[in-house]
Amino acid sequence: MATSRALAALLRNSPKQLQVRSYYTVNKKHGNREVVGHGINGEPIYTDLADFPMPAIRYKEITPDLQALREKEKGDWKKLSIEDKKQLYRASFRQTFAEMEAPSGDWKGVLGITLLGVSFSLWFYVWLKHYVYPPLPITFDEEHRLAQLERMKLLDVAPISGKLKDL
Amino acid sequence: MLRIAAGRLTSSLRQAVQPRQATGAVALVQARASHGHHETDEEFDDRYEKFFNRPDIDHWEIRKAMNDLAGMDLVPEPKIICAALKACRRLNDYALTTRFLESVKDKCGPEVDKIYPYILQEIRPTLDELGISTPEELGYDQPELWLESPENIH
Repeated sequence: MATSRALAALLRNSPKQLQVRSYYTVNKKHGNREVVGHGINGEPIYTDLADFPMPAIRYKEITPDLQALREKEKGDWKKLSIEDKKQLYRASFRQTFAEMEAPSGDWKGVLGITLLGVSFSLWFYVWLKHYVYPPLPITFDEEHRLAQLERMKLLDVAPISGKLKDL
Repeated sequence: MLRIAAGRLTSSLRQAVQPRQATGAVALVQARASHGHHETDEEFDDRYEKFFNRPDIDHWEIRKAMNDLAGMDLVPEPKIICAALKACRRLNDYALTTRFLESVKDKCGPEVDKIYPYILQEIRPTLDELGISTPEELGYDQPELWLESPENIH
């Protein structure tokens, strides 16, 4: 009884830092960026995703310049210049959709390296043919193959039989 | 003694339970057969319009609704977009308007040439009233910056 009371008192008086909310949290990593939403997993993280376009935090930390622009944003939006609007966008978001979905051009490198591999193998085969494999047997030339065909006809190998109209 | 008590208990229990069981079973069958209430497209549009029109909508709620819309197999109706843009105005968040319009354009998919001009034409009065520029007017229809992918930053 006395022990549990002492333990409770200890927990009550323990400093705030000791009370860890969750082991895996990324809490406090976002600096003074404004947390403006739940985000994709409830953590204050920023990701650019086309199918989940509004992340939990704004991309940029609040600076005095930005603060001034924020005050201007509270007024009439018709008074904002195009530059102001773009700056506000980049303060909240890192990439536009067009940048997110821009082609990376990686396919060129992939295709190039694949073709390098293919041509290396072809030249390796040429080298093998030239230096490693023995020449083909003499029976592979046309004269010998025709002679073989004649022998097959004489010996009636795999004959095609039946009436001509059925074929 | 015990048997009498048990018999009374059983009969009273049966009376208490049986009628309820019967009605409960009927209700259950009806609930299962009806598959709940199906929301029509008009009801869906009204629901989202009403949600964006809430006077006390906050940053979390507006982003939740926009992210949900971005995850659905549809392009939001112009009236939903107008309500969302007005909600952005009440929250003084300009960046959100551009992001939302970009998201709507992205939702048009391969039909973007047909759907997006129609949407712009429908929401043009709201854009002019609030002083909102379209992503095209900001030059965001083309990539502006090249940024290293976060996957490649260690």
